[in-house]
Amino acid sequence: MSIALIVLLPLLGAVFPALMMRLGKNESAIAASSVTILSLVLLLTNIFAISQSTVPQASWPWVPQIDLNASFFVDGLGLLFAVMILGIGLLVTVYARFYLSPQEALGRFFAYLLLFQGAMLGVVLSNNILLLIVFWELTSLSSFLLIGFKSDSQEGRQGARMALAVTAGGGLALLAGMLLLGQVAGSFELTEILKEGEKIRSSPYYLSILALVLIGCFTKSAQFPFHFWLPHAMAAPTPVSAYLHSATMVKAGIFLMLRLWPVLAGTQTWFYVVAGTGVITMLIAAVIALFRDDLKSILAYSTISHLGIMTMLVGFGSEMAVVACVFHVINHAIFKAALFMNAGIVDHETGTRDISRLGGLASLMPISAITATLAAASMVGVPPMNGFLSKEMMLEEVTHATAIGVAWLLPGLVMLASVFSVAYSLRFLLYTYFGPVRNDYPAKPHDPSRGLWLPPACLVVLAILIGLFPEAWAGSITRLASDAALQSKSPKFHLSLWHGWTPALMMSIFAFGCGATALSLYVPVRSIWNKALLPDAKGLYDLSLNACVRLARITTDRSFNGSLHRMLFLFVLAASALGGVVFARSSYERGERELLPINTSMFVGWVLVIVACFVLAWKHQSRLIALLTVNIVGLISSIAFIYLSAPDLALTQIAVEVVTLILMLLALHFLPKEAINEVISWRQYRDIVLSVAVGASVGFLCWAMMTHDFQSISSYYIQHSKPLGGGANVVNVILVDFRGFDTFGEITVIGIAAMAIYAMLDGMLTGPLSATLLKWTSGLRFSPNRHPMMMVVVTRVMLPLAILVACYIFLRGHNLPGGGFIAALVVSIALIMQYMASGFAWADERVHFDYHALIGGGGLIAAITGIGSIVLGKPFLTSGFKYVDFPFIGKVELASVSAFDLGVFLTVVGGVMLALANLSNLGRMTGDGKQ
Amino acid sequence: MIGYAVLFGFAAISIALLMNLWRLAMGPTVLDRVLAGDTMVVNMIALIILYGVQRNTTLYFESALLLAMFSFISTIAYCRFLLRGDIIE
Amino acid sequence: MELLVATAVAAMTAAGIYLLLRAQTFSIVLGLTMVTYAVNLFIFASGRLTVNQPDIIVNPTGTYADPLPQALVLTAIVISFAMTALILVMSVRSYFESGSDLVDLFGPEETVSKDRR
Repeated sequence: MSIALIVLLPLLGAVFPALMMRLGKNESAIAASSVTILSLVLLLTNIFAISQSTVPQASWPWVPQIDLNASFFVDGLGLLFAVMILGIGLLVTVYARFYLSPQEALGRFFAYLLLFQGAMLGVVLSNNILLLIVFWELTSLSSFLLIGFKSDSQEGRQGARMALAVTAGGGLALLAGMLLLGQVAGSFELTEILKEGEKIRSSPYYLSILALVLIGCFTKSAQFPFHFWLPHAMAAPTPVSAYLHSATMVKAGIFLMLRLWPVLAGTQTWFYVVAGTGVITMLIAAVIALFRDDLKSILAYSTISHLGIMTMLVGFGSEMAVVACVFHVINHAIFKAALFMNAGIVDHETGTRDISRLGGLASLMPISAITATLAAASMVGVPPMNGFLSKEMMLEEVTHATAIGVAWLLPGLVMLASVFSVAYSLRFLLYTYFGPVRNDYPAKPHDPSRGLWLPPACLVVLAILIGLFPEAWAGSITRLASDAALQSKSPKFHLSLWHGWTPALMMSIFAFGCGATALSLYVPVRSIWNKALLPDAKGLYDLSLNACVRLARITTDRSFNGSLHRMLFLFVLAASALGGVVFARSSYERGERELLPINTSMFVGWVLVIVACFVLAWKHQSRLIALLTVNIVGLISSIAFIYLSAPDLALTQIAVEVVTLILMLLALHFLPKEAINEVISWRQYRDIVLSVAVGASVGFLCWAMMTHDFQSISSYYIQHSKPLGGGANVVNVILVDFRGFDTFGEITVIGIAAMAIYAMLDGMLTGPLSATLLKWTSGLRFSPNRHPMMMVVVTRVMLPLAILVACYIFLRGHNLPGGGFIAALVVSIALIMQYMASGFAWADERVHFDYHALIGGGGLIAAITGIGSIVLGKPFLTSGFKYVDFPFIGKVELASVSAFDLGVFLTVVGGVMLALANLSNLGRMTGDGKQ
Repeated sequence: MIGYAVLFGFAAISIALLMNLWRLAMGPTVLDRVLAGDTMVVNMIALIILYGVQRNTTLYFESALLLAMFSFISTIAYCRFLLRGDIIE
Repeated sequence: MELLVATAVAAMTAAGIYLLLRAQTFSIVLGLTMVTYAVNLFIFASGRLTVNQPDIIVNPTGTYADPLPQALVLTAIVISFAMTALILVMSVRSYFESGSDLVDLFGPEETVSKDRR
């Protein structure tokens, strides 16, 4: 349980900082950091178990049908990443509290940050690979929110979109890869999959799995050619960059490659693809970093370059390389986060991140200069910083690797990259902090408040400690993580500062010398670089994106020219053509089912329907007549329901018919009474042909269906309706009990539709349309009498009668035809009668309840009935019933579904009345109504 | 005996419905059609009751009750629409 | 009897689709209502037709009409009522917004360029 909580705490706790923001910035930051600390403490309680080489696990089935379980585990690798996520997260929280200006929504920021933190923890602690994908995409989404945090800047929005497109797109490839992997391995649990290395590597799907998984990892970890999103993500506030783009999210790809190392690595393909991509990324990014002017951009490319190093190390496939990679993950996270924070400080204090406008800050900001120098030294790999150690290990591994049979190829490329790496690091440091003091900084620089410099300082101290005492400070965690990544005991190694005059050390010294020389030649080199026509990854991305948009637009424009008529025609045509193909292919014989005899009265009803349909098509221009005929058809179908043993349907249909009619008449009042006279044209004939064809095919289908026997699944309901549901009316029991959840969804739909109607009509009354409305008159006034006395009297007498009928229908609904729906419609009609007879104003004055509240209350009652059964330990909406003897009334059944039906009743009354009352209210705002 | 009466009733109502249909389709005015529709509903109520009598069941009577209660509302709504335009003022 | 129901469904569908294709708001609403009747009857018919066997259980072994399609249709009637109300109000609103109840107000080019904005 505690393991799942580590992940869930930040996800659930994300609301707290947002809520605490009302109290102030500090409170919000404290809320955010306490969530992080709590999670960290929970995590650290597992350390002892892990060091005993057990793996704490926790698992619950989520969607067992697709093997998706909420299962988590912490092993060494997960522990290392989780500690990094939470530890640096804590520092970033403190840093962000002081970094973001008071105008910015700090609460929202922390909420996003915690959301991201939870998602990231989910990635590193998931045991189920499908669950891992869920969290993986969640990190993409939350990082989208964080990158686009300054939503008013175009750069931020663009960068966020690009990051989302690339990383979430890669996530989709990863999903496909993981599905394949799970299929091949026979399980979706990582602990199981990791044992199946042989099976997976020899499977015919190995290459597909590898390609898909690597696309996911490379996009996330910004490997070439997907590296371009990371520099654009620098539009994010600097704390986000320090957190996501140096220490955590971009490492997710590395993490996954390490995680799957035992099953995927070790083949030639793995070596060439992964190590090759890593080397190329490392080199290209290091070169580009040298020629950037924005501090954060330099760091972004440097991050890409270092991610390249890690990818390359994973790609080597040797166990020691994995150890080096794990160690470098730790070191890089520490010094790069510190550097990002430092760049943020420079930005904060001087007002610019442009390196060409900086220089000489060392004397003005001594503390920042010291931390920056130490962190940069670590990035270059100068002893005694931690970066030196892992760089040595990396170079050591590189000297053992041979690619395409050429021993010097990989070392050569890495050397070249190192030279550039030294050059850009020195440039970053020297051009910002050293050199002459300038007097044209946009702001007056000085050291920031403690809150800003302490977090990077903590990291730098850690960097020195690891550098000086590597075994004590990082030895065991590296060993634990490497063991977990390798799924076996890692080779013996000893972390120390001095290994003697190894080739790696020589290479290091040589690279440092060359890098320093290169920087001294910076000005001429830069001018060559500026003149060179280099492909711009962002340009290519934009180009392909625009091409996609253009393609979509062309397709849309070709198929949809804006005419609904045409669209509908094509749709109906396509649907009937599809049906026609199926029809033509299958043999049709009349079924074996015995047919019912034709009843004379029903035959007359049939004649009525057919003639009404003809009249409708013929007279549809006169809308009132059309409405009348439609009404008659509805009426006859309710009679048909009665004849065909469906009294519930008949009741519903009759009631709905009346309400629909009133609605239609209310609407028709505003609309033209006559349709526009179409010139009889080929279009009309075409429509006639099509509609007759579709009608005939639907009729045939219906006929074919009815003449064949079938096995109904309803016998269960018929048998169990009384013993389980306690009602004799099976239709009603299905609605409120067996399929109660569907009905719950249905009343939600009704509520939403009523709200939408309200919104549309209310907008007409208050918006710019109200003037149009006021000018509008119908011109139809044949009778001077607004509220005829006879009608008023009759309807008022009818009201209590109708409500009595409604109660009767409602109560008997469980055992005889009736129920909440029908009762609600009866009540609505009774109420609307009053509106019709006595006028809107009169009725509205006397209605003492709010229809909105009715809708909400109905939904609430239905939901509470459902949740009630959960409280009693049964599934949602389980019903209970009991027969109670009341004096005078007799035996009455009390069922929990009656309460549910009451909810249905209230929602439907509210929905219907809200729609009708608002539509009729519209008439009062017209020119006629104002008279 | 009642069986024959019911059958006669069915026949009479069916003929009445067909005549209503004639009025509905032919008009000539909208008011004629509204009246035809109203009469049709009355005939249908009778049809439902007769059917109940024939089958010896009361299950369908509520439908007739609802029709009787509300069909007049439809007619009123139509009439108000023709006379005043707005059916709820 | 089955033949009558099938042809009635056919007629209702045909009339409904013809009205749908008239491209004026009120006709479309009426057309949709007709199609709804047809579809409801169709779904209902999928339980096959029975006379005088309503689903009021007297003894669990007796023969009864198929209750499941009935429950479906009951839901469908209520939902389609809500949808009819919604598009009716939409058509009233669009009539006031545009001054016409034609569905295709613009020529094809104009509509497309309006969407792009």
